[in-house]
Parts: sequence; structure tokens; C-alpha cells
Amino acid sequence: MQKKFLRWLFLVVFCAFLLTFATSYLIQTNQSEKIAISLIKLKIDDAKNQLQITENNLNAIKQMTDKIALVKAKILAQYVYEQPKMLSSPNRLEKIKNLLDVDELHISDSKGILIASIPEKYKYFDMNSTEQTRVFMPALSNPNFEFVQEPKLRGYKDGIFQYAAVSRISIPGIIEIGFRPERLEEAQKLANIENISDGFRIGKSGSIIVIKNGVIISEGISNKALDEKEKQNLLEKSKNFNNAFKTKFGKTKYICVSEEWNDYVIVGILPESEMYLSRNFVVQALIFVNLILFVIIFFLIFLLLQKIVISGIWKVNASLNKITEGNLEEKVDVKNVEEFEQLSEGINSTVGALKNAIDAESKRLDGELELAKAIQHSALPNIFPPYPDHDEFEIFASMDPAKEVGGDFYDFFFISPDHLAFLIADVSGKGIPAALFMMTSKTLIKNLAKTGLTPSQLMTKVNKQICKTNAQGLFVTVFFSVLELSTGKLVSVNAGHNPPLIKCSNEDAKYFNCNSNIVVGVMNDVEYTSVETILAPGDYIFLYTDGVTEAADINEQFYGEERLQAKLNLLTSKEFSVESVLTNMRGDLEKFATGANQADDITMLILKYKGFKKNIEHSERSKTNQSSLSLPARVEEFPKVLKWLENLSEDAQIPEAEKTKLQIAVEEIFVNITNYAYASDDGQVEITFKVNNEKQVEMKFSDTGIPYNPMEKSDPDITLDIQDRPIGGLGVFMVKNLMDFVGYEFENNKNILTIKMNF
Amino acid sequence: MQVIEKKNGTTLTIYAEGRIDALTAVDFGYQVHDALDDGDFVELVLDFVDINYISSVGLRVILELQKRMKEQGSMSLINVKPAVLEVFAMTGFTKILTIV
Repeated sequence: MQKKFLRWLFLVVFCAFLLTFATSYLIQTNQSEKIAISLIKLKIDDAKNQLQITENNLNAIKQMTDKIALVKAKILAQYVYEQPKMLSSPNRLEKIKNLLDVDELHISDSKGILIASIPEKYKYFDMNSTEQTRVFMPALSNPNFEFVQEPKLRGYKDGIFQYAAVSRISIPGIIEIGFRPERLEEAQKLANIENISDGFRIGKSGSIIVIKNGVIISEGISNKALDEKEKQNLLEKSKNFNNAFKTKFGKTKYICVSEEWNDYVIVGILPESEMYLSRNFVVQALIFVNLILFVIIFFLIFLLLQKIVISGIWKVNASLNKITEGNLEEKVDVKNVEEFEQLSEGINSTVGALKNAIDAESKRLDGELELAKAIQHSALPNIFPPYPDHDEFEIFASMDPAKEVGGDFYDFFFISPDHLAFLIADVSGKGIPAALFMMTSKTLIKNLAKTGLTPSQLMTKVNKQICKTNAQGLFVTVFFSVLELSTGKLVSVNAGHNPPLIKCSNEDAKYFNCNSNIVVGVMNDVEYTSVETILAPGDYIFLYTDGVTEAADINEQFYGEERLQAKLNLLTSKEFSVESVLTNMRGDLEKFATGANQADDITMLILKYKGFKKNIEHSERSKTNQSSLSLPARVEEFPKVLKWLENLSEDAQIPEAEKTKLQIAVEEIFVNITNYAYASDDGQVEITFKVNNEKQVEMKFSDTGIPYNPMEKSDPDITLDIQDRPIGGLGVFMVKNLMDFVGYEFENNKNILTIKMNF
Repeated sequence: MQVIEKKNGTTLTIYAEGRIDALTAVDFGYQVHDALDDGDFVELVLDFVDINYISSVGLRVILELQKRMKEQGSMSLINVKPAVLEVFAMTGFTKILTIV
């Protein structure tokens, strides 16, 4: 903007300068011309006056000369009258001629024939014979005749000559004298306009040109002779009287004015250079002053603008830059001018409002993220032990999400009574897209797994599906295994995931050498391959995500594979439950990462294979339909009881109505034990389930709590009206009514309650 | 368990789904009492169309509700399933409750 403004300012100033210059130039020129023209005219007037005076002088002299001439002629006439005899004496004529101071004498007879002349050669000349002399003939008839003839040029050398005549006294005749009118001649010479004009100057180098009858008779004092073309040009232009015109003689330009005077055309000329002398000076001075002035103005405006506007704009821009780079705390602080103050305040309040909006939005977003995280978390199986009736294995898993919604997950489920599938997975990316991707992947794997595909077929199909709908370019690493419970055979597919640790009893934990296929979701037509291994009873397999190995401490060191291996080795050597192993592992990770933020989800799954021998035992027991469940006497454990009972009831094919009755009875008994058997929460209760002869269920509840025989409790009076009915006491009553047999015994310090139901 | 309330003037209808047992009974009770506190109802209707199980804890809660409603109006149960009805019968609750 600065450059643009400068350019425009310069343009404007320059134009103003030019305008001033042009105007003053024009005015000055005009003035100069006017002055020059009036000067010329003045000079011409002077010349005219001069000429007039001279002319007057000339006339005066002429008159005088004429008068003198007549007087002389009259004197001669008188002489001739008084002494007529002198006519025949040349000497006497000569004497009179000298006396009169004339050059010629001529006396004629009555017919006009000269009878006496000086010079003598003119004797007998006939005055009537030439036009010139004829003018005097009237003297013969008019006694009062007197006439002075115009001076006439007499040859080149003789100059002018004049004749005057009077008539002879008392006798007709012409008395004529001839003389050289020297004074007149001189005067005429003086009055010669050519001479006058020679002396006339106009200004320094101006002069006068005189034209008579279309002929330039005086060229003034300009030394250079005019050529024909110039002369013609001048003659033409000078016909325009009293109006100035310009012309060029040689290389010099002139301004000219022409005027008429008598027979002459007087042209005053002045060189243009002289005319414009003062103008040039003034204009130069003006240019100089204006230049300085405008330069000063230019810089003043520039500096002013710079100081007030541009620096202000720069500062505002600098602040705005900081703001757009993300620093919303930046305040615009340009207050030198009111407009800028308003601008600053406007910007600041806008930014403030923007900040508030952003804060509000991010809070809302946080809330949504929290919700998403909670939903995700609850989608993972988190009830442990999940299959209490299965003694072949123990399984435990945990997922601790990082701050943002994550993408780790684990899963386990039965795909057939003898096959347990379990897996761990890590979705690329974070946030809600990763979370959604995680949910769909998990569901897809589980659904496809239940259709009876082998692990490798499963992974291939899962990959195809995910690639089809994977617009966002996310991928997931998966480690998926199927454990055949009866044999311990483990078939696994690894899709780009960290290899799990396997701890065989009597050996150190080591990383499972499973060939790694490509991660799921990037390449459409990959055939996944699986590996097989056998787990022996007492073996552990430990699955984890890179949130474990890449957990960092405050020095940004990773937990690492070796540490993990060593720790697992240690923990599984002790007689910890699988839950304790993970809990301890988690604790060790936390200790390691003290002071640092959790960057990634920490997910672990551990399975301990306990062997198929127990399975056979169990299945043998299953044949006799006895199972047992041992758990803490806490109300929160009730769902486990229910689930266990549900499974067994299903297996035993107990009809719905009886199932419900059984559930109610079990609930009542269990709740009573939890409420009353133990003073603290530490007691255990053992429940057994057995089907006798396939038509009777027998269950036993044993606890080591306060000895209590519920059979001793008297039945509530169910006929009472509502206001009289006590709130409690129904449990045992219901058990008694629902079951076909209820028995109690106290044996080995245990309360044992037995119920039987036929179905 | 989620309880759905339907208010119709001075009648409050409660619909619930699932089991009223040691785990859910207390919460069920709280929700119904809260709903009753929210207005001035003279009639409470419990729609048991989707209740398929009740244990003694549940019975306790129902009894409490019945006692309360006796003070301020009436209570009835509708669409009671056979299994649940049997429990009511066994425990003499059919006498105390208005079962429709």
C-alpha cells in the first residue's frame, strides 16, 4: 500500500508541478509578447513621429526654398524690366546669376522662346517643347504668374535641380531661374526614411524594416541580408497592419508589427529571444522554487502518512499475524489515532469472542470424547472370571485408555464348546474415527468367527470386508488365536501385531515366533497364514499392545520388550492368579512411567491353560451333572451366580417355569448368606449343582459363617392385611415353597443348606 | 433397569422390563418413589407386561409402594405374567395387591 500511495502522491505532486510550470509559462509568454508588441509599437510610433517631424522640416524648407526661389525670380524680373539691355550681355547675366546665387537663368520672349540663358546653350530653346518646361507657359499670358517646379533629379551625379519662374514685367515673357536646392537636398537626404530607419533600434537587437510600394527599402540594422523567400514572406505578412506576427530570418525568430505611414509600411521587428528573456528568467526561477516546494511537500506528506497511518497499520498487521498463527492472547494495541483505537478495540473484542466460542466448543467436545470412551470401554468384556465353569483355562484382560479415545481392544468368546477364541487388537489413530473403527472391527471379527472359518480364513475375510469400507484409511493390527481346550492346540494369526509372550512351565518366557502378516485394512487381497503350537497345562500366553512396550518414563525411555519379558517371567513363576499377574504388571508399568503422561492405550490379555485332564474330570463330573462355584459372599457376585446357574440350567434342560423358581430360590438363599453369614465381606460361599436321575436338581450352599439354621425361622403370616404385613422375612419362606426339599446341616464348621427341585 | 413413566392427569403408569431381583429391586423402588414425588397422583399403575422374575426383595419394594399408595389413593398391577403371579399367590400378595 505504501508503494501505491507513494506512486500516486508522486504523480499528483508532479502534475501539480507541471501545471504550475505550464500556467506560469503560458502567462509569462503572453505577457512577454504583449510587452514586446507594445514596445515595438511604441518604437514605430517614435519612428513615425520622427519621420513626421522630419517631413515637416522638409516641407518648411521646401516652402522656404520655394519662397526664396520666387523672390529671386522676381528680383530677376525687376532687373530685366529696369535694364533690359542686360539681356544681350552675358557678362551682366552672369553677374546677376552669381548675385542671386542661382545656377541658371532663362528669359523668354512672348512666344516662349528663350532669348537669354545661362548656360548659353539653352538660347532659342522653346519652353513649349517639353512637358517639363511647358508648365511655365502660362507666364506669357498671366502677368501674376509665379510657379516653383518640383525638384527633379538631374542625372545620377547632378542630384536634384529646381526651376522657378515668374512672368516678365509689362512685357509677356517667362523669367526663370534654375538652382540646386542644396538645403532641400540635404534636408531631403535627412528625411530619407532609409536613413532614419537605420538609426532605429528596438530593444537591444530589434529594428525597423521599411517597405515602399512592395519593395523593402530598408532592412534595419540586421546585418544578414534577407533571401527572396524571407522577403516575400515578410511582404505578405506585413500587409496585416497593427497585428503582431512572427517570422524567421535566417536562424533567428522575430516578432513583428507592421504599420502604415503615408506611402510606407513600417515593420518593427524584435528577436524572440529578447522578448522571452524576462519570461525565461521568471520561469526558471519559478521551476526552481516550485521544485523545492513540492519536494518538501512530498516528503512531508510521506512522513506524516508513514508516521500516523502506515506504522499503525503495520503494527495492527503484526498483531493480526500473531493471532492467525494461533496466539489468541495477543492484543492489538495501536492507539495513536482515534480510528486505530476503534480498530484495535474491535479486533480485540472479536478475538475475545472467538476465544470464548473455541473454549466452549472444546469443552463440549471433551464431554463427547468422554462419553465415547465410556461406551467403548463398556463394549469390552469386563466380567471376570467370564467362564467360571470352565476349568481348562483362566483368562483375564484389561484396557486402560489414554487420554483421548483410543483404539485398542481385546475380545474372547467360544466358537464351539471346545474352542475358545481370544484376540487383542490396536487400531491406528486416535479419537472418534479410531473408536468407531474399533467397534466395527471387533463386531466383524466376532461375527465372522462364529461362522466356523479357520483363523486364517477368518482374518482374510475380515481384511477384505474392512478394506471395502475403509474410506478413512485406518488399519488395525490383530493377534487372533483359537485354543482347542481338549488338546491345548493353539492356532494363531498375527496381522502386524506385537508377538505375544508364551511362558511354558519350567522354561523362561519367550516371544512367540508367529510369522507376521500385513496389518488389516490396507491391502485388499491378502491371504493370511496361521501358526500352530501346543499349550501344555500350566502354560501362559500373554497378549499386549504397544502401549505396554512403548510406555515411556520421564526421560522418554521405553519400557521395552526385554523388561516386559523379564517381568512376565517373574510374575508367572509365582502362584498368582491371572488377575494378579496383570494387576502387578500394570503396577510395574505405572511405577516405570511415574511423572510421564500415558501416550497410548495399555491393553493386556493373559490366558493360563490348565489342561485337558481337569477337563475330562470336569466332563466326567458333567456326566454326573455336578458343578461347583466358589465365590465371595457379596451381593455384587450374584450375577456370576446367576450366569453359572443359567448355563447349568440350560445344559440340564430345565423348563422355563422351573428355572425361574430355581433362580428365585438360589437368589433368596445367596442374598441371605451375603447379608447375614459373615460380619465382614471376606467370607466365601460354595454352591454346588447336581442333576439327579435327570429329573431332579440338587443344590448345596455352604458357608463358614455364623451358624444359622433358616429352617428354624417361622413362616410369616401371609394372610395379614397390608398394614400389618412386615416388610421382610419372605426369603426363606419362598425357598420353602418353591423347592421340593429344603434341608440344613452344620458340618465341619460349615452351614450347609440343601435344596432339591423336581422338573 | 430403566423405568418408563407415563403421566395422565392424576394417574401415574410405570412400565419396567426384566427382573426385579436383589440387584435391581432397590433401584426400581427409588425410581417409582421419585416419580410419585414429582406430582400429585391418586393412582399408580404398574405395567408388568415385561417383568418375568421377582424375588423377595422385589416383593418388599412392591409392599412399600402399596402401603404408600394406600395413603394417597390406589395402586394396581396389570399384565402380570404367570410366573410372577405364582410368586404373588404363594406369598399371599394376591390378597394385598390389586392385580388386574
